[in-house]
Amino acid sequence: MIKNKFSRRKFLSNIAGNLAFFFLSNAFLLKRLNAKTRPKIVIVGLGIGGATCLKYLNKISDLVDIIVVEKQNEYQTGPLSNLVIGDILKRKEICFKINKKKYEKVKFIYENVIAIDVKSKSVRFSKDLKINYDFLILSPGISYKNDILQGYSVTDKKNIPHCWDGESNIIKFKKRLTDLENNSKIIISSPDYPYRCPPAPYERASLIANYLRKLNKKGKILILDSKNSFTKQENYFREWKINYSEVIEWIPRRKGGKVTFYDQKKNLVKNSDGQIFRGDFIHIIPEQKAANIFYDSGLLNEGKDWCQINPISFELHDFRDIYAVGDSIDAWAMPKSAFSANSQAKVLAINLINKILEKEYVDPVFLNTCYSFSKEDRAFSISAWYRLNVKKDKIISLGSSESNVNANNSDRKLEAKHAFGWYETMVNDLFI
Amino acid sequence: MNKISFYFILFFSISLFAGEDQTINLIVENCKSCHNLNIETTKKIPSINNLDKDEFVRLMKKYKNDNDNSVMNRISRVLSNRDILKMADKIYDKK
Ligand SMILES: Cc1cc2nc3c(=O)[nH]c(=O)nc-3n(C[C@H](O)[C@H](O)[C@H](O)COP(=O)(O)OP(=O)(O)OC[C@H]3O[C@@H](n4cnc5c(N)ncnc54)[C@H](O)[C@@H]3O)c2cc1C
Repeated sequence: MIKNKFSRRKFLSNIAGNLAFFFLSNAFLLKRLNAKTRPKIVIVGLGIGGATCLKYLNKISDLVDIIVVEKQNEYQTGPLSNLVIGDILKRKEICFKINKKKYEKVKFIYENVIAIDVKSKSVRFSKDLKINYDFLILSPGISYKNDILQGYSVTDKKNIPHCWDGESNIIKFKKRLTDLENNSKIIISSPDYPYRCPPAPYERASLIANYLRKLNKKGKILILDSKNSFTKQENYFREWKINYSEVIEWIPRRKGGKVTFYDQKKNLVKNSDGQIFRGDFIHIIPEQKAANIFYDSGLLNEGKDWCQINPISFELHDFRDIYAVGDSIDAWAMPKSAFSANSQAKVLAINLINKILEKEYVDPVFLNTCYSFSKEDRAFSISAWYRLNVKKDKIISLGSSESNVNANNSDRKLEAKHAFGWYETMVNDLFI
Repeated sequence: MNKISFYFILFFSISLFAGEDQTINLIVENCKSCHNLNIETTKKIPSINNLDKDEFVRLMKKYKNDNDNSVMNRISRVLSNRDILKMADKIYDKK
């Protein structure tokens, strides 16, 4: 067990000063929240990490006030979103509104958080609207680097939507894909590490190939990769050989895969050697960094891409009582996945409860299992357990392992069933 | 699996998690990511709820030793037999 250095007396004396609540448009909420002098936990972001924290913290909702702030009314998951692009699922099957009945004592505020004010311990929505916190949990996901690829802007609506978060327009992506003519050329630019869901660009390529076939269209998919290798590579190569022979081609960085220039009007990209690739559908998956809110609040300096946290409490380095989880953190050996965010958030919430109840911290263990589909009924996975190093200052992997490359059809089918099963369990647990 | 990672896993599987009950609780919390223990939400992943304690222990040891690289084999092979027994205590003795 690990000692936590939290002092209750100090905490209680802090509470009085932190209860100012300026949510002007909702007097009722204001009155209720000010009524009790108990710890106030604010969670920003109700995606996988935030919803998991909420589920666990809800167990002590008699002792603390919990406020959740989320900018979208509906959450579209990353997992299975490639199956929507590939016409296997409908968008509505991956979109969820949280079931508030499970969280009777929790306040939900649907607002975009503009910044965190560390000094006054408050979360700001606009110039006049803010709420205070005693403990703040941030699980806002990722943002994008706009300066890596010349000619490409993440916000340019004329581009093919990147569809790397729940806000990007997946329907528009699919329409442009569906409208492609026979024998079209699709270019996918895959980002450099670290980024959200490392196997997802290759899953997307597979399911686009699958979709074109269903549309009875021929086409070629060229993956230009900023990396020299990728996760589950041998499994993907095998699946491509079996299912999409001659359709998907992968060019690693060392062979000119790193895209450095994009021209939307001329429908072309150039690599670092100046070589030109023309395509009818150019899909750039942008390089990534932690969500904007960290930069806008001074919690991360430009040039630093991910939040540094304590791997036992998930408290930010240098910022007391602010915790971060999920894709926005540097989690050392752990990949950025929903499964990881879910596993990390359990530790964060359990250890925050331990801190509030003045118990010792639990020594963390984490699990990740990430499934990828190559067709609707074929999937494979990678999994690993994680724990802390001897110094207890970083997360290490206990060795990851993948599905057999030569798995037979029934193994692939079983993994597809498991992938759907994992997803159903997770979204039922968190949202429904 | 290469030799180094095999010995790495073997080494850890002797002493990996067993020390602390709280850590066993966390392992079980991670099992819940796929096998929700409270309600049967999906038929696609076998429920742990439908098993009894001995059956759970038997199955986990089987997965661990099967060496077939299935997802459960990969997940269970870092667990020691003691971890598995403690997990069973945690899941079934509470019921
Ligand atoms: C194509 C694709 C496929 C994937 N497939 C898988 C998979 O098969 N398995 C897997 O494990 N993972 C998968 N992932 C990864 C998974 O989606 C992420 O790892 C996971 O969602 C991370 O959780 P999070 O809580 O960090 O962020 P998110 O789930 O993105 O949640 C962030 C939330 O914060 C909100 N927010 C952000 N900023 C603010 C603000 N300023 N104010 C208020 N609210 C805010 C957002 O609206 C959002 O709801 C996939 C991702 C993609 C893109």
